[in-house]
Amino acid sequence: MAKSATPALLQGTLDLLILHALQRGEMHGYAIAQCIHLLSDEALRVEEGSLYPALYRLELDGAIKARWGLSENNRKAKYYDITARGKKLMTQQQETWSRLSVAVDRVLAR
Amino acid sequence: MRRTFLKLFRRRTLHHDLETELAFHNDMAAANGNPIPLGNPSIIKENAFDLWRFNGIENIWRDLVYAVRSLSRSPGFVLSALLSLGLGIGVNTAMFSIAVEFLLSEPSVVDAGSWASVYLGDSNHAKPQVVQFLRDSGVFREVVGENWETSINWNDGRDTRPIFSVQTTKNYLTALGVPLAYGRGWTENDGGNAVVLHHRFWQQHFNADPSIVGCSINLDGRAYTVVGILPESHRTLIGYGLSPDVYLPHSLPDTLLEIYVRLKPGMSLDQGRTALRTLADRLDQAMPNPYVKYAAGIRVTPLAGFARLRQEQGASAIGLFFVVLLVLASLVFLIACVNVASLLLVRASNRKQEIAIRLSLGASRGRLLQQLLAESLLLSAFGAGIGFALAELVARLLASIELPVPVPIRLQIEPDWRVVAYAAVLGVAATLVCGLLPAWQSVKESLTSSAHRERRMRMRRGLVIAQIAVSVIVLATGSLFLRNLLLARSINPGFDVLHTLRADVHLPPVRYSDEAVQKVYVGQALRELAAIPGVEGAAAARTIPFTEESHDSTEFTFPRTGEKVHVRFHWNGVSPGFFRVMDIALVAGRDFNGEDRDGLRVVVVNRNFVERYLKDSDAIGTTFQWGDDKALYEIVGVAAGTKNMTIGEDDEPQLYQPLAQIQNGRPQIQFVLRSATPPQTQLAAVQNVLRRVEPGAGVEVSTMYSSIGLAFLPSQVGAGLMGGIGVLGLLLATIGLYGVTAYSVARRTREIGVRIAIGATRSNIMRLVLAESLRLLVVGSAVGLAIAFFVTKPLAMFFVPGLGAADPVSFGAVVLVLAATGFIATLGPVRRAIRVDPVTSLRYE
Repeated sequence: MAKSATPALLQGTLDLLILHALQRGEMHGYAIAQCIHLLSDEALRVEEGSLYPALYRLELDGAIKARWGLSENNRKAKYYDITARGKKLMTQQQETWSRLSVAVDRVLAR
Repeated sequence: MRRTFLKLFRRRTLHHDLETELAFHNDMAAANGNPIPLGNPSIIKENAFDLWRFNGIENIWRDLVYAVRSLSRSPGFVLSALLSLGLGIGVNTAMFSIAVEFLLSEPSVVDAGSWASVYLGDSNHAKPQVVQFLRDSGVFREVVGENWETSINWNDGRDTRPIFSVQTTKNYLTALGVPLAYGRGWTENDGGNAVVLHHRFWQQHFNADPSIVGCSINLDGRAYTVVGILPESHRTLIGYGLSPDVYLPHSLPDTLLEIYVRLKPGMSLDQGRTALRTLADRLDQAMPNPYVKYAAGIRVTPLAGFARLRQEQGASAIGLFFVVLLVLASLVFLIACVNVASLLLVRASNRKQEIAIRLSLGASRGRLLQQLLAESLLLSAFGAGIGFALAELVARLLASIELPVPVPIRLQIEPDWRVVAYAAVLGVAATLVCGLLPAWQSVKESLTSSAHRERRMRMRRGLVIAQIAVSVIVLATGSLFLRNLLLARSINPGFDVLHTLRADVHLPPVRYSDEAVQKVYVGQALRELAAIPGVEGAAAARTIPFTEESHDSTEFTFPRTGEKVHVRFHWNGVSPGFFRVMDIALVAGRDFNGEDRDGLRVVVVNRNFVERYLKDSDAIGTTFQWGDDKALYEIVGVAAGTKNMTIGEDDEPQLYQPLAQIQNGRPQIQFVLRSATPPQTQLAAVQNVLRRVEPGAGVEVSTMYSSIGLAFLPSQVGAGLMGGIGVLGLLLATIGLYGVTAYSVARRTREIGVRIAIGATRSNIMRLVLAESLRLLVVGSAVGLAIAFFVTKPLAMFFVPGLGAADPVSFGAVVLVLAATGFIATLGPVRRAIRVDPVTSLRYE
């Protein structure tokens, strides 16, 4: 089964990015992808193929919650919002990420 | 937990949600100049779904759907498997339930285990005073008496008819703790004019109206207040499904009562027996009975369950009957299980290819097992469902059958759900195991040698042989009973049942307590009956063979030789003309006549009596002394004689006395009439005449043929049950044989193809396949017959004389039937075999 050729994100970081993006408030899937894209100065591209499974997984875990609403152009869209549980999860993942990136930097610096 | 709930509730809408969401995303992306590449939507969906899925369960669901589809492609297989399971579970357990109800049902009393039936002086009947004596002694917790062999005349305002009543002691209901559906029953303080109705009687005659409680009904010319209705589930002390019409809190003077006692807590039967012996000694002193010594012949037998069967006389035959029935039932069930197994194996052999392909495509062993499991699960679930439904249906049918007997019998047959469940579990287990076997085999098969395969084939053949053998046993027993029924019908009861009628008359006891009044009535009734147009003759008798029995065992002294002989005979008191009306041949001497009244006492005996007790001396004119008063009797005639209680019994001695010379203790008389026209056309006329002669009498008129139905009952019920099971077994065995033949043909398709390719003709192939089934049939039948020969031995007691257990006709029929069914079962597969196309078959495996 062919996966997308270049994984745009390191495994495990997408969840963190999604949760982080959602801290700014409720938004739909496309907006989340856009948000991450823009915040990374267009360096990171989140594909649907990774985004939606991640969103569904997070929803199932209770880290985010979803509701149907109307989008800015008046279309039915699914809006996601972070939950208390999600905030806790984000803090944990952020710490993990920091430690990891510091460690990786150290290794690469030598 | 949370996940599970979310999954459960959300997964239905999930698909739609995701699609909408993706569409929205794509639109947004497109509107914004598509800065982010589109992925493959199917993969996205799959990935998103994976999380939300109960993988295992969903696969099972998919497997079930697949199973339904694949099963619906082979309806023949499904039908046979479901039929096997359904019949095996349902019909079989229904039969079992009858046995349980008939034999082991507990009477509707409080703590049935503590009650016992009491015998004093070798009889469980005693005078009410004796019952009272036992009660007053305080040895037992409770003592009650009942007599159910009585009838009472019930006048419903239009008609008077005898109904079955149980006379009881006043403490009967309270001591036994008989539950009532309505009303409170009677207590010891109530008067004697109370009556409790049986549920059935109440339903039939009072439209199940509860407001009848408190009203009065007319019994024997007296008003009785209805004080209670027994519930539908009421079971009498006697058991065997007996359901009398009414219970009365009193007994007529001189009625003998059956004694039942409730043992004190902690008192064993043995202790009860010892206590009873002491009591009986006291009883012999306090109320000496010239005929009976109470202390001799003491017995205390349990009232319910297995214990009762062990103790009760005659119950051993019934018990044996049911043991045979149960053995047969379980054998039939075994056949059903083997059937399902072999059917599944046949199926598996046909789909070996499919399984092999799936395995090679990478299906896991577990996944394959799961799929086959689904199929078996589906089969067994439906099979069990059908079984449950059939059990209920058969039980209802059986319960609704009105037995042609003079006493009201109604078995409350409900399928014994424990047994049904047990059978269902076994059936389901058999299905599952056999359903999974193929997968297991195919997985292993690629690794094993053909020798292994050969061994399995041999095992399967063994299975078929066993199945055939079991079917032979079941069939042999069934056919023995069927043949018994046929033989019994052809046996002559010794009198004409086709042109005769019978009227059972119960006279009001108070008015007819005087002998003379009774005799006047009988004379007048006979005159009027004989005057009915079309009636060729009328006679009166104390008993009618097959409906009632009067046995005597006494001592005759023959003055000619001075010899004292102990004789046993069936007794009857008849009016002149009885032999002519009943068409009983007089082989010597004369019939009674009007002169046989106050003079010399005369009797007519039957041939068997002469052969047994008079040896070679000339019977006519022989005199003997009989009775306490040593009165002299003379034999004036010898009759051919009749059967007495059952059609299959041996001839027994009979002795007839003129009605005019006997003391008629009870106000009851039977009339028999011979009619030139069909007897049923005379029913109303006879009823009217008897009503006119004595309006207060309870009269029941029936054709002789319908009233002796009881005689055929044991063989009918036996033949019905056993024959039913036999047919069931045959049906199942046919299915099984078919399955196995089909299987072996399927396995040999390639071989058959090769044979055809190198020049074998159709008849060669046919012979090949037939020879194989024939071999199985012959070996199976031989084993089965050998076992059946021994198994059916103890059944001889049920059969008419001349029909031995190892009846060649029955056994021959069984073998023939089995050969025929075997042939039919082989026909289908054989036809498939000879139509095998060599090219296809070579590609087959």
